[in-house]
Amino acid sequence: MFIGITGYNHESSVALVDRNGRLIDYYREESLSRIKGDKSFPKRALSRIIKANNITFDDIERIAFYERPLSSFLYPIKVAAKYLPESLGLLEHQFRNFKKSSVSCFLDLASKFSGLEKKLIYSDHHLSHTLTSLAYSDKHTELCSVVVDGFGDRSTTSISHVIDPLNIKELWSTDYPLSIGLFYSCITDFLGFAINEGEYKVMGLAAFGQPNNKYKKILSKIFYWDSQKKRLFADMDYFSYHISVTDSYSKKLKNLLGEPRNPFRSLFPDDQDFQNYADIAKAAQDITVEILCKIFEHAHSLTSCRRFLFSGGVAMNSASIETLAELNFVDQLIIPPSPGDAGAAIGSAYYAYLKSNISTKILVKPSLFPSKYNIKEEDLKVEKIISKNFTIISEGLEESLEKAAELISQGEVVGTIIKNNETGPRALGNRSLICNGVDHDAVKKLNTVIKKRSPFRPTAPAMKLTTAKKHYKLTSAVMDSYKSMSATCNCLPENESHKFPVTHIDGTARLQIVESCSFLDLLLDKLKPFGIEIVANSSLNVSGDPTCYDLIDGLMVCARTPLKYLITDLGLLEKKITNES
Amino acid sequence: MRSDHSPTLNVLSETAYAEYGSALEMLAACKAANKPTHAYGYFEHAKDEYNHTGAFLSMLSTRSQIVPCNTARQLRFNSSSVITKGYVDSEGYLIENLNIKDFIAFVYTNELLAKSSFEKILKLVGPSSIDGETISGIMRDELRHHGFAEEHFLHYYPALQPWQLRFYRIRETIKNKSRKLIRQNVEFLEKIFKPLYSLMSYLVARLVLAVNLDVFKRDGKNLLDIPTKSIL
Ligand SMILES: [Fe+2]
Ligand SMILES: [Fe+2]
Ligand SMILES: [Fe+2]
Repeated sequence: MFIGITGYNHESSVALVDRNGRLIDYYREESLSRIKGDKSFPKRALSRIIKANNITFDDIERIAFYERPLSSFLYPIKVAAKYLPESLGLLEHQFRNFKKSSVSCFLDLASKFSGLEKKLIYSDHHLSHTLTSLAYSDKHTELCSVVVDGFGDRSTTSISHVIDPLNIKELWSTDYPLSIGLFYSCITDFLGFAINEGEYKVMGLAAFGQPNNKYKKILSKIFYWDSQKKRLFADMDYFSYHISVTDSYSKKLKNLLGEPRNPFRSLFPDDQDFQNYADIAKAAQDITVEILCKIFEHAHSLTSCRRFLFSGGVAMNSASIETLAELNFVDQLIIPPSPGDAGAAIGSAYYAYLKSNISTKILVKPSLFPSKYNIKEEDLKVEKIISKNFTIISEGLEESLEKAAELISQGEVVGTIIKNNETGPRALGNRSLICNGVDHDAVKKLNTVIKKRSPFRPTAPAMKLTTAKKHYKLTSAVMDSYKSMSATCNCLPENESHKFPVTHIDGTARLQIVESCSFLDLLLDKLKPFGIEIVANSSLNVSGDPTCYDLIDGLMVCARTPLKYLITDLGLLEKKITNES
Repeated sequence: MRSDHSPTLNVLSETAYAEYGSALEMLAACKAANKPTHAYGYFEHAKDEYNHTGAFLSMLSTRSQIVPCNTARQLRFNSSSVITKGYVDSEGYLIENLNIKDFIAFVYTNELLAKSSFEKILKLVGPSSIDGETISGIMRDELRHHGFAEEHFLHYYPALQPWQLRFYRIRETIKNKSRKLIRQNVEFLEKIFKPLYSLMSYLVARLVLAVNLDVFKRDGKNLLDIPTKSIL
């Protein structure tokens, strides 16, 4: 057995790969701690993976940490040191928090899982990303891997040639502090959203912006691709993330873009400042996509490959994927369901596997629902919570699906806690909020009443492939990515889908093509007699919380929001009406 | 957190984190419970604490719309700060680290201790305002939690006498007081040692500047060939 671990600098998670190259379990620490973006040492995830799979320490051959700890600690310090005395605050902060840096992985393992620390090895940060995406590819040779993130080890962008899984050559990289991920985060912060959380909001907001607006011209001068030198350029005077603990942008950027947005002020399309901020978002989004295209061109020229792997946090920018997939030298573009650091635990577990002495090594394509969950762990415990607050209106999957379909056809929103968890960050049906995807009122209720989402954020539609072909322009190079909601696509011209509530203002949708025999696939079968072929699918959680993991989390969402129905492995539950609700 | 915002905003923000920490503690206890009645009790308690968090965040939100952007940015709620701010211990939840008796005793005493802090907040927002009413509602919830914890405690540990509960309460009060004292001392020492820390950071940074990290560049290398034990 081989374990991969991420944490400290970014979201922590743990993955388990067996001797046959199969991903057999995976947990994000936030799912278990219930703290969104939890980056502490993943003790709960590791304990759980050991317990749920009945393995002993002896069964574990190697544990791979997803980055080189000293590198990721020293590199930012070295950069900050160039900006002394301005950067003194950051440097002091880094030194004082040495124990919280990934250098502590060894010590944390030794103190909490004594004995396992001897099996600890380290992978390169971008190699972990590459191996994560490689696992999801059907072919494992002659690929080009492009990794773009905020920061890992020392670099922020890299191009590697995957000759085969054991021969992956890095050909080009961009070093910190030049970073597409951190540029995007800086704009996220400027627009009043939380870094590492609000990037999706910027992407949604960008659709309201005017193309080629004045901010695009301004930002293009300080952050661009240098075509001659084939490298990224950033005028660091406008950014502060490399010299400050609290600020990501400098005064100079404020002089350039105007007043940053107060995070507590509303941002509705009718608000006075809305267009201005949407234009800034649009500018940042377009610059990001343009630079990504240049990097892909460069990657193609270096490797001559036509099949690409794309990972790192920036690969979560689903709105950029279609443009990349349509580049004339791209035959295939693989994006793993969790391209960010949380998903890198999968790649590092594969790294441990590849470094083992097993003679023939194969990477088996992981499931989209790898996090093991068994209702048996909870069914007795939740007895009273359910009997006090809920009525079980149907038992058994078949009957529950039928009843849920009926409710959805009547405009209701239904939550799901069914079997295993998704890899994240997207909910693909097992931990989702579902309603009729063409019913404007139902989608509005899901969005604003239950999720309290910003009005400019679109809700994603889920459907079968045959339905998708009728309404949306699919790109063959990313067919697999539609299964994990990793890419957006355009509505077909003059198609009714332009009016669907799950279509964004710019005529795109981040659609999910459901995997056959998955829960959503079965539900869509039951919805067919009602004439419903498209459902809206959003993750089951209260805004600010991680997506639900177990039944108790799902019951809690019902208790805290107006959500009335929850389909579970125990049956379909309906919340009892009390005075409070 | 810098203290350049108005005290009310700071108090509301910190209270929201404290309530959020309690919600997470209760949810963890719910999941760790082995009896359906206990799970139900903790579930309801967690739900209340989540609602309290929401109430304080909404009070914070209305008031923060008019403050300068930089102040507002610092007040933005970030779930994982619940650990860095110490409202949830970085070593784990109480239920993961304490025995069940100590855990219930902790809940019992803490609910009562919270009362005095709420009274202070009530003064800040004005007792007769809408927010004041919300806070009074929260205080009623907290008293109810305290009552449940007491009942629970006496039911499962009938040998325990009320005086023992008082003992637990005194112990927690002392602990809270000493935590405050330690914090004040740390802040004091911090002031004294700050120049020294800065000087050390400065010197180490100059040293790091001299380290040539280029040898660890990967250009043209097979990434699978880099030694597995290398931390650089
Ligand atoms: Fe990364
Ligand atoms: Fe509370
Ligand atoms: Fe309470």
